[in-house]
Amino acid sequence: MTDLLNELGAAHEQQQFGILDEYSKREIRRAILTAVAVPGYQVPFGSREMPVARGWGSGGLQLTLAVISPSDVIKVIDQGDDQGVNAVNLRRLIVQSTKVPETTTASDASIVQSRHRIPEDGLDEQDILILQVPVPEPLRGVERDMRELSRMHAEADYSKMWVSLYEDKVRNGVITQTTGYPCLVNDRYVIATTPIPRWDIPRLDQSPFLTLFGAGREKRIYAVPPYTAVTPLTFEDVPFEVEHTPGASCSQCGSNKTFLVEIPGPTSRWVCSDTDWCERNSGKA
Amino acid sequence: MGYSGARGGIDAIEAAEKLVRRKRLNAECEWVSPQQIVGRFRLAVDRVMGEAGIWDEELTAIAIRQAEGDLIEAVHLLRSYKSTLPRFAYSKPIDVDELQVVRRIVPAFRNPPGPQLLGRTTDYTGRLLELTSEQASQEESMLLSSLALTEKAETVDSIASAQDTQPRRLLETLREMDLLVDRRRDDDPEPFDITRTPARPPASRSARLSSMARAETGALVNQWYRNILGPDGYVHEVTLGEVRHGYLALSIEHPLTGNTISIGMVRVTEVEAIEDLNGIDEQRDRFDIGYGLCLGHNEKKAIAMANLDIACHRDNGRSQLEQSLLLTTDGLDSSGFLEHLKLPHYVTFRSMVERKLAVRKSRTSERDS
Amino acid sequence: MKPVTAPDWVLKVENLGKVFGNLSTHGIANTGPEVGTSKDSVSGAIVAAWDVSFEVAAGEALGVVGESGSGKSTVMRCIAGDQVATSGAVKIRTTRNEQLDIFSLSAAERRQLRVNKIAVVYQDPAEGLEMNVTAGGNIASPLTAAGWRNFSEIRGRASELLNRTEVPLNRMDDAVKSFSGGMRQRVQLAKAIANRPPIVLFDEPTTGLDASVAAGVLDLIRGLLEEYGLAAVVVSHDFSVIEMLTTRCIVMNHGRVVESALTDQLLEDPHHPYSQKLVSAARA
Repeated sequence: MTDLLNELGAAHEQQQFGILDEYSKREIRRAILTAVAVPGYQVPFGSREMPVARGWGSGGLQLTLAVISPSDVIKVIDQGDDQGVNAVNLRRLIVQSTKVPETTTASDASIVQSRHRIPEDGLDEQDILILQVPVPEPLRGVERDMRELSRMHAEADYSKMWVSLYEDKVRNGVITQTTGYPCLVNDRYVIATTPIPRWDIPRLDQSPFLTLFGAGREKRIYAVPPYTAVTPLTFEDVPFEVEHTPGASCSQCGSNKTFLVEIPGPTSRWVCSDTDWCERNSGKA
Repeated sequence: MGYSGARGGIDAIEAAEKLVRRKRLNAECEWVSPQQIVGRFRLAVDRVMGEAGIWDEELTAIAIRQAEGDLIEAVHLLRSYKSTLPRFAYSKPIDVDELQVVRRIVPAFRNPPGPQLLGRTTDYTGRLLELTSEQASQEESMLLSSLALTEKAETVDSIASAQDTQPRRLLETLREMDLLVDRRRDDDPEPFDITRTPARPPASRSARLSSMARAETGALVNQWYRNILGPDGYVHEVTLGEVRHGYLALSIEHPLTGNTISIGMVRVTEVEAIEDLNGIDEQRDRFDIGYGLCLGHNEKKAIAMANLDIACHRDNGRSQLEQSLLLTTDGLDSSGFLEHLKLPHYVTFRSMVERKLAVRKSRTSERDS
Repeated sequence: MKPVTAPDWVLKVENLGKVFGNLSTHGIANTGPEVGTSKDSVSGAIVAAWDVSFEVAAGEALGVVGESGSGKSTVMRCIAGDQVATSGAVKIRTTRNEQLDIFSLSAAERRQLRVNKIAVVYQDPAEGLEMNVTAGGNIASPLTAAGWRNFSEIRGRASELLNRTEVPLNRMDDAVKSFSGGMRQRVQLAKAIANRPPIVLFDEPTTGLDASVAAGVLDLIRGLLEEYGLAAVVVSHDFSVIEMLTTRCIVMNHGRVVESALTDQLLEDPHHPYSQKLVSAARA
């Protein structure tokens, strides 16, 4: 028995590729395959505890480690920024345990793990976008009981969601959903688009790349396969509105065609949230 | 530098890590060995082992030391370490009647079958802060250590020879008195593995019990307290049947020979709670039992667990108690999600500000029209 | 007991039964109007309803009368799907003129029927409405469930319905919990007919309302029944409601149907002793 244990121990001593053991990765891949086969359906999976805390990207990290191979190139962003501290930590963990090359240029990356943004451009066919999801349940605001939530998705009974959109418009004059806007995927399941801004939603529709959504704490995976219909829930006669501030443009590169974030102060300044795009655009200017 | 958005993210992180490491390993005070943590803070070690779902005192002590005493952080270190380990065997099912007690009390009866062993507990000791000098404490410690060498040490073997360490359960007595609802199954369902599949309501009893066994102690105690006294709970008349602390032997099937081999012992706390049935569709002339078991010596957790086990069974899906137990009692989930609020959220915030302006604009245009 | 027949029935209830506890032959024998109880003294089972049959055609309303505990609400809930019947069948006529036994459907399929085939108006409006949602929003619920996706059209239809049920339009955007009992009931009516269901079940629609308010609501219901050509089942202990709304009715006592007749004839000349007791009490 001792010899057997020593053998196993020795094999394990060499730091394994991608932190998780092969069995765990296989489980996660199976969940991913189910998710891709049923676009928008939240697949439960045995979410492992990772070196990053729950709520800090443990789900996204598991997805990345399950799909990544030595021939990939990884980009990790948070709020669109490669240098965000959480992105730096995640990228470091991934690169240390896989030795996969890293980049900040989206078009050079084959896998992008992101918190709360889709890169402005650069993702094509064969690329995978992995989004970190804090709360995967789009109906959480209208229903608390998990059994009922399960039934609502199973029966495509989204009437409570529609009533809440109606009430929102009536009460506020506009639909006030901020980020994580609920969308219908492949005409069947409603998903929470993580907290990505409304700005990024149109790029999910018929995208050439695969998008995987990982919720580590809630232990769900869902997916939008390439070239899948993704439509934000809204009434036919109520246009879907993205974040737009008239007159705002990036103080670094001049763009007004990207998602901008505000630098508060006596005079308001704006910058691109996608720092890499901004840098490359400034170079051109 | 700013929190992000400028070069230097990695530099900032590395500087923070250096600072933590320097302060943690500093030479301003004496080194603390894992043995000292196990020896002097055994209850913290036991609590962390239970919440991590791992039996290894030394490893746990190292985690507590690295976490600088933040017990939930220590649990995180252990659980993420566990994620890197391959699982190569399952233990054979354990009959808890084989538990060898070092402590056993039965509040429900004055003279239950088998001994009542107060054992190692401060339950009946006055909570008086001892302010003896460091020197006096250490002298006493030396004296007691030398006595222990001459006395018979409290080992499992010596206890076994001294008295009945596998006392008959009160449960058996209650069955003989025909006072219990019989919920024993004659099938043998596969236990639910919460580390492989997330448990969601409606869940099996094994899913609920294993979730609670790994739950954060404070969360479980609070859940129990709310259930008894909070606005959304109801009254339970519970009397504890068994409170046990002791050793369980573990064995596995050898992967090559197929023989049963013993691989060691774990120490657990086990509780049976007797619940008075008084519901309209319950058997008023009987009691039912709730069960709690966790690694290490952690009585409040096992008692809360046993109470919540029976509360959940009686609730039968009427309220969201089961959902609360399965989804809101894990320490890593709750504290991780809470602390994630410290991460940058400026994309979301920008989106929120934009919508507020849109609402105002819509109101003014409504007024104008 | 001769079932109450209607040649072109839209809703047909056949030997409907609901037992709480264990069903047994002696349980059936030990309960009912002759025995004077719904509870089987031996097993403790409650035979809330047994062997109930009737048919309802489009454009007509059938009354189900009885005191509390008679089983009339149980029958309604079994048809609605709020409770699962123990025995019997409930058939509806589909648009393709086929007979569909709704008890053969899955729970999900039965919930689908509640969108636009069978509507229910509950005694307590809080059961049929979301109290924190606006009047318009409550009507938007069945409409969106039926696939309506145009905001103005939804609002248009909601205001139309609220107008028809005499709810002031300036209250359309107020949460229903701020409405009086009578007005809540009107919103419930508007919601129930939003998708023009062929069948509507009313459970004590005006019980608990002030007499003058109740009269207005009853008047409204009668108008809607005529205008929409609904097949309606009206459950009530109150004969004035039954008289106002229904052409035929059945009388229930301890879970069984004791008499069935044209409403006018029952009120004029009840046959069964229990019916006589009820009618004379109502007249007094």
